[in-house]
Amino acid sequence: MRRAAQDLLIGAAFSVLSGLSLLSLSELKSGRPQAASQRSPSASFAAALQTPSKVASYDIDARLDTSAHRITGHETIHFVNRSSVQLNELWFHLYLNAFKNDKTLFLRSPFGAGRSGDKAHEYGYVDVKKLSLVGGDGADLWPSRDRHSPDDPDDETDIRLPLPNPIEPGASLSLELTFEDQLPEIVERMGYSGSFHFLGQWFPKLARLEPNGSFAHFSFHAQSEFFADFGDYDVTLDVPEAFRVGASGRLDPEPISHDPGRKRLRYLAPDVHDFAWTAWDKFEMRSERIAGTDVSVLYPPHQERNAEAELDSVRFALPHFNALYGAYPYPTLTLVHPPEAAENAGGMEYPTLITTGGPWYATLGGGHFIDIVTIHELGHQWFYGLVASNEHASPFLDEGLNSYAEAEAMEARYGAGAVFDGFGLSVSSSALNRAFSAARGADEPIAQGAADFASFRNLAAIVYSRTATVMATMGRVYGEERVARAVGNYTRRFRFQHPDPSDFLAVMRDELGADAASALSTALFARGTVDYLVREVVSAPEPTAAGVFDGPDGRQNKKPDPPHAIGQYAGRVVVYRHGTLELPVDIELTCEDGTRQRSHWDGHGFTHNVDYVGPSPVVAVSVDPEQRILLDDDLTNNWVSSKTVRAPRNFERGLYLAQLLLGAVGP
Amino acid sequence: MIQAVLPSKSGRLPASAAASSLLWVSRTLLGLLVAYPVLSAIDATGIGNGPERDAALFRPGSLLLLEAVRVGLPWFDSALKIALLLSALSALVELLPLSCAFDLLCAEERPFGARISRSIQCFPRFLALGAIALAAQVALLLGASLLEEALKAALQTADERLLSIAPIALFALALLASLWLYGVLDLARAAVVARDLGARGALLRALTLLREQPRDVLSGSYASAAAAAFAYLTAAWVVAKIDLAQPLGSRIALCFAVHQGAVLFGIAWRVRWLRRALALNAALRESVGD
Repeated sequence: MRRAAQDLLIGAAFSVLSGLSLLSLSELKSGRPQAASQRSPSASFAAALQTPSKVASYDIDARLDTSAHRITGHETIHFVNRSSVQLNELWFHLYLNAFKNDKTLFLRSPFGAGRSGDKAHEYGYVDVKKLSLVGGDGADLWPSRDRHSPDDPDDETDIRLPLPNPIEPGASLSLELTFEDQLPEIVERMGYSGSFHFLGQWFPKLARLEPNGSFAHFSFHAQSEFFADFGDYDVTLDVPEAFRVGASGRLDPEPISHDPGRKRLRYLAPDVHDFAWTAWDKFEMRSERIAGTDVSVLYPPHQERNAEAELDSVRFALPHFNALYGAYPYPTLTLVHPPEAAENAGGMEYPTLITTGGPWYATLGGGHFIDIVTIHELGHQWFYGLVASNEHASPFLDEGLNSYAEAEAMEARYGAGAVFDGFGLSVSSSALNRAFSAARGADEPIAQGAADFASFRNLAAIVYSRTATVMATMGRVYGEERVARAVGNYTRRFRFQHPDPSDFLAVMRDELGADAASALSTALFARGTVDYLVREVVSAPEPTAAGVFDGPDGRQNKKPDPPHAIGQYAGRVVVYRHGTLELPVDIELTCEDGTRQRSHWDGHGFTHNVDYVGPSPVVAVSVDPEQRILLDDDLTNNWVSSKTVRAPRNFERGLYLAQLLLGAVGP
Repeated sequence: MIQAVLPSKSGRLPASAAASSLLWVSRTLLGLLVAYPVLSAIDATGIGNGPERDAALFRPGSLLLLEAVRVGLPWFDSALKIALLLSALSALVELLPLSCAFDLLCAEERPFGARISRSIQCFPRFLALGAIALAAQVALLLGASLLEEALKAALQTADERLLSIAPIALFALALLASLWLYGVLDLARAAVVARDLGARGALLRALTLLREQPRDVLSGSYASAAAAAFAYLTAAWVVAKIDLAQPLGSRIALCFAVHQGAVLFGIAWRVRWLRRALALNAALRESVGD
């Protein structure tokens, strides 16, 4: 019995020590990079204050029935024709109808379910009950609408409404609508899960009016996001008293009369282009003022660690992005961490409101998932929120540039362990983006519409990862500070505007020059690829020239030097460039005596010769030794060595892992 | 009786040390065999052909490690399958040194040739016992998965944290039950070697021991497993601090020493438990299992 107790005690002691080891391992971090403040750009980056040109503003009064999962709403749209032509029609986006039945453009997607990866479990839709002109005769204009999206009788997300009277350039009108939403079980950041409700794309909304008088209207595609005009949103929400609400904009402190057992909350969100909100009776909340902004985190019970991690990410990233891309201009920022059962509401951006996500244990171990999702969605406040490019037509301008911004911020914060840092292994954002980019990067062009991608997996690899890799490559080749400054110039110049890819390229050309802009253009628009490679390394003793020579002193017969007398070696290395991207690159020769010699190739042409003469033979060649060109299709052919390669680290690690495996499966 | 099976003092390597060395050598040799296809696949990627050689794979950020995985994925797929097959075969082969280790622990003075011959004689019975343990393990896993489904249904209304912890707790319980199972297996193996019993008789004896002295059986096998886990995690903790991206051979040697030290430590604690299993067997009344 005493022996058993002794064994048990020993076992328990080892278990405790093992737990401590595990904890230490998960908290092992590699060296921290320089502080964010040290990387912050100079005062010349100060934001230029602007206000948007407002086209469509909304006053909405909505009542949420949390049992039936229905919203009844009254909406007034104030519209100004800021185009140069007379308008005879308006286009409405009724994106909740994407979940109306399995034949909608969204739900018939062969890839299952779009960005969030899940189909609707219950259907949802929006019914416009009446639409009339404010100040008109009260006639209902809605029956005169087109019944379905253009050329798509099964879809009702993109609806044309003819106007009884045209709107002249500069003129305005107000429309009054009543509508009812039936919410689906949570899908694509819309609907309910138990008593949790998340409402994105929940109200009838006008498509963006382009300067030429056309509307940038499109059906809700499973791979696409959104595009809208700036305006002011004044939204009053009527919810059960026990529910906590998070919404775009700031809460008006003025009390509003309400029915017993309910409450009415008024949110004011000026200068934005969308409005989203959430309501749940189990939300817990933390608030903090960060960089002049009131930041709130709404999160499920028992997720305090995640909430703290998200606040901590904002503490770092908000001032970081303010410095790089111009000051965040809104007084509030709301973070919503949905419950695990409603994970399809997570990882999304709306003006002044972002959703994060992850299980309660997401901060354990060495992964930085919570930081990544928080910083990514926060970055969208610039790349989507303030610089409101067309997410449907050019998703790389929001998701791609934002992935670059996210990677830059994560590496500024965590260095080489930006994605994962624990158990002796670190994975950086740029390495992970490069891996995804290299896997599918050349399948399709980056700069194309969201709906044009063959699949969402392609879109994710190409729009997110490849754009980030293109930008990281530009930074490594032409200077990270210059690229950061160029992107900052872009976000400032086009704040509260709707730039297109040519605007972005023009700013990059101004900052980086024509060569860089040309490479960037090829990478973005023309499926530009590059693969630098070297095939062999040869260097041999260089004897003095032997043979018969006729000179002014007559004919001379020179014999070859004996081998022991030769002190010089000569060789030639040929470096090849495959693909269409011409990027400057370094080439490094390593000699037998350990010396290294470096030369530079501007990347023009398909081959480049490096001639060598020196006292020691060349034993290895490496093209792009610092891996600046992350776009390189294959990094394993960037070097070659004439010596037998030994891999003692691999041997040591491989043997140990095999021993562990045998320990697990063996007797 | 217990004294009879304990190794006597002699000028040669103590029995425990000899058994530990034997198990370490066999695991290292078989480990080399299992690792070979994967190491060859890594070589085939060409990632280590540069001036930094394989140090490039250990650089912070893992750019080239991910590239090696991406480029070598088709080779790794095959190499891993072969490695798994080899490890399964190696597990069978390891029964011979295990039997030999038991023999060393209970009869130190036997000639080497006789030990080998005895190990070969015991092999079929070890194999049969292993098959029974494997079947029991499968039944255990099935039971655990059924229990998990039932737990999910029962906890549907519980909060997220409880929902996530429940399967982890279930896994921990299954792990504990496995330890129990393998504790019994070792007792049976000890009975095969020490008393020359058949598989059925040895198992009967082991189960009797479990019934009569459950705490001894559990605590002994638990201490052995906990010690091994501690050694491996400590090794991981130490090695994580060694930067292998630097071109220094001493760092590689240090990693090797730490890892092999951990393997040896784990094996030594296992040998300690095997001795205990022999002693428990010896203390049980003679007639059981005969």
